[in-house]
Amino acid sequence: MKIFATLARGSLIAYTALFFAFIYIPLALIAVYSFNANPVNMMTWTGFTTEWYAQVLGFKTKISENALYLESTSQLVEALWNSLIIATSTTAIATVLGSAMAIALYRFDFFGRRFYRTVMFMPMLMPDIVLGIALLIFFVNSGINLGLKTIIIGQCTFLISYVFIVVTARLAGMDRTLENASADLGANEWTTFRKVVFPQLLPGIVGGALLAFIISMDDLVITYFIAGVDVTTLPMFIFAMLRRGIKPEINAIAVMMLTFSFLIASLGLYLRSRQK
Amino acid sequence: MRDSIVRLDKAAKAFATPEGQTVTALDAIDLDVSRNEFLTLLGPSGCGKTTLLQAISGFVQLDGGRILIDGEDMTDRPPYRRPVNTVFQNYALFPHMTVGENTGYALEVAGVVKAERTKRVGDALRMVGLEGMEGRKPRQLSGGQQQRVALARAIIARPKLLLLDEPLSALDKNLRQSMQIELKTLQHELGISFIFVTHDQQEALTMSDRVAVLSGGRIQQLDTPRAIYDQPKNSFVATFVGASNLFEGEAGSGQLVTRDGLSISHGRQGATGAATALIRPEQFFIAQADDSTPSLDVDLEQIVFVGSTFELFGRTATGRRVIAEIPAMRRSLVGEIEQTRRARLAYDPAAVHLLPAEAA
Amino acid sequence: MTSIAFRRRAQLAVLLGPVSLFLAVFFLGPLAIMIVTSFLSPGLYGGVEWTWYPHNYGRILGFADPMFEDFDPIYIAIFLRSLKIAAMTVLATLLVCYPAAFCISRLSDRWKNFCLFLITLPFFTSLIVRLFVWVLILRPTGLANEVLIGTGIVSRPLDLIYTDGAIILGMVYVFIPFMFMPVYASVEKLDWTLVRASLDLGAGPIRTFLRIILPLTAPGIAGGAVIVFIPALGNFVVPAILGGAKVMMLGNLIEQQFLAARNWPFGSALAMMVMTVMLVLLFIHVVVSGRRGFDPATGH
Repeated sequence: MKIFATLARGSLIAYTALFFAFIYIPLALIAVYSFNANPVNMMTWTGFTTEWYAQVLGFKTKISENALYLESTSQLVEALWNSLIIATSTTAIATVLGSAMAIALYRFDFFGRRFYRTVMFMPMLMPDIVLGIALLIFFVNSGINLGLKTIIIGQCTFLISYVFIVVTARLAGMDRTLENASADLGANEWTTFRKVVFPQLLPGIVGGALLAFIISMDDLVITYFIAGVDVTTLPMFIFAMLRRGIKPEINAIAVMMLTFSFLIASLGLYLRSRQK
Repeated sequence: MRDSIVRLDKAAKAFATPEGQTVTALDAIDLDVSRNEFLTLLGPSGCGKTTLLQAISGFVQLDGGRILIDGEDMTDRPPYRRPVNTVFQNYALFPHMTVGENTGYALEVAGVVKAERTKRVGDALRMVGLEGMEGRKPRQLSGGQQQRVALARAIIARPKLLLLDEPLSALDKNLRQSMQIELKTLQHELGISFIFVTHDQQEALTMSDRVAVLSGGRIQQLDTPRAIYDQPKNSFVATFVGASNLFEGEAGSGQLVTRDGLSISHGRQGATGAATALIRPEQFFIAQADDSTPSLDVDLEQIVFVGSTFELFGRTATGRRVIAEIPAMRRSLVGEIEQTRRARLAYDPAAVHLLPAEAA
Repeated sequence: MTSIAFRRRAQLAVLLGPVSLFLAVFFLGPLAIMIVTSFLSPGLYGGVEWTWYPHNYGRILGFADPMFEDFDPIYIAIFLRSLKIAAMTVLATLLVCYPAAFCISRLSDRWKNFCLFLITLPFFTSLIVRLFVWVLILRPTGLANEVLIGTGIVSRPLDLIYTDGAIILGMVYVFIPFMFMPVYASVEKLDWTLVRASLDLGAGPIRTFLRIILPLTAPGIAGGAVIVFIPALGNFVVPAILGGAKVMMLGNLIEQQFLAARNWPFGSALAMMVMTVMLVLLFIHVVVSGRRGFDPATGH
């Protein structure tokens, strides 16, 4: 019986190890192969090189002498810039609007509160392609030119929801008697908000903003539909590359993007764990 | 008339339940609390005691009536403009502030300069025995220490009145008892009135100058602890505070006869009409079978040893339950009746309290 | 009193006004226009004509416009295949996540938090990059085939990429956190004394699993199934990358209607089909979990 239990436990642990291997080995693979010198078949190791990184970062390399490559690099840099501009703007807008809504729904009981809640959960449940085409039809019908502006607006529609949910979770964990305690000790509503509510809410708002930033940087589907012909973002650039044919420097881009989002996500999760 | 610090004048409040009914939390309550008084609001949950407290602190808006604090009408004032501070049930310490910042909060929002604030925070913390703990965070403290921070925070601005909302309910029994005494001492030192809310009758009797027993949004009785215990005004107070044996019946001079034919002697000569006699369990003593003092004969169902006393659960011939408490010193007597399973429970008629009859 | 009420109203308006306006115009508005568009007639050169035209749905469901075309079951076939692939994705994700959730729920707090961190982390990393990895692994000259040929298991490269299997694999890889979290939440809540009680009362491990563990973790399974099924059904990135031109799913079909065929009303109708499936699923989920939420002790 004991052997049986140990066996069951052992196989469960082995399974979980496999589970994590499934998640992380593919990611580790690109990290390794991003240093592979083989320009034709990326999964056949022919030697170590940092050339692809140099290439992506715009340093002069043997390959970059080639005019075709040079062009794709400048496109990449432009895509990266676009992504950063979009992510920064959407994060700012979505954080303000999403937090405001979270606070409103938490503090006030009003007619239509449930409706707002439902609307907030819709973008998270809807397949993003639906929102993408809806926005496309809307922008084209209302005569707005597709471009950075429409991407920013379009992304905000669902990023507000993410911020809302993170901030609401934070608010739900807050003790309402603390506000009473503050009022009892002589602080008016504004002082109470500034000194008691906001400091406790801040990790939630920062967390929501980080999440919005990452998701904005990563969004492909909605952006893809409303970007128009002139604007390309980083995920769109990679997507187009994948459809056209894979070049080795995509590995380097991928690794840099992974590192970037790992860092931001770790920072966010670290901040959250510290607050507890 | 005593010097009044808080006066409630027909304070009324009703809540709507989610099921669509209305619950009367405060039923036109009149209450006067005097300066330097330790008043306890005692009652079961839902009796209105917390609502009453929140009406005074300003978190509940009255539907009707007025609240005066130190002669000033406070009815429409927000909580932050009332000279009243509260010790909350779960302390409500701000988790993102240190003990010092928590304690000094009332002074900070009132605009007291830093130097004076630091000094007064130190004084307040010393008063509750937490000297030098300014830099800690609330979560690094034990439950008892958190309790003390909450107390220091509430008294630092020298309120005219301190409200305590079941502040000891989260502490374990020993700590609770020592805090009871400390609170009482602190109240004397500060010289301000305390209104203390609890559902623990022992706590109420131990600490208070006066106790208000609440039920159904009304003050059932407002009296000194002794009067509450010895002369309850009605059967609710009698049963809620302490254990009791109640005998409803028709009172005559010196005698009350219950419907099932038991006769209870009492000391009130002129009594007539429907009434209820109260005999506390500890008023009974075990009498010999031929004893002539007023007594009840019971069949014993259960004898429980609880340390300082034996609790006797018996039934009269008419089937009525009777509880008696016999000091543990009398263990030989108890040994006897344990054999026979019968006992004659005698009592002193002068100690029997008569309650007026109540409409069912 | 009235001034307080007024102040609260003003605060609410400041907090809620801008965001309400934004969402009404840019979220609810577009959805409404899409619904309307799905009932309009497609114009000849890609535009929309403002006439009532139910045959966008007819093309899918069997009452195609009698003037221009015969009913072609290709669209309903794509619809059904998308349902099938989404369902298989749900099943596969569940099978992958469920045992892992059990194991992780039994770890010490430190390890538990670390494992949860590792599982949520990929959610924050680029979707496209995570899918790209599988292209490298599955394509004919990719790692999987290199290994298979190198070890002599097969002599010629297998068709791994551009298959249903590749799509499901890609979706499982992407949707693991979506399934894991709700399943884990209900496994974590599981009261193990109930399992011990069941074993004590004579039920074997299998019966205990079926009668106790499975019903008690069912809410998490149902929640995970819904939030994996819906995005899987309408997904277009995974089939576009791992399905190539061979495997068409609803998502690709919709994309095609908008960016290639320029038949917006038909594309909108397809999107509405996805939305309908989603609403039906959510409705069932709410009704079933609502009923399960009935507590005999309190009567709520």
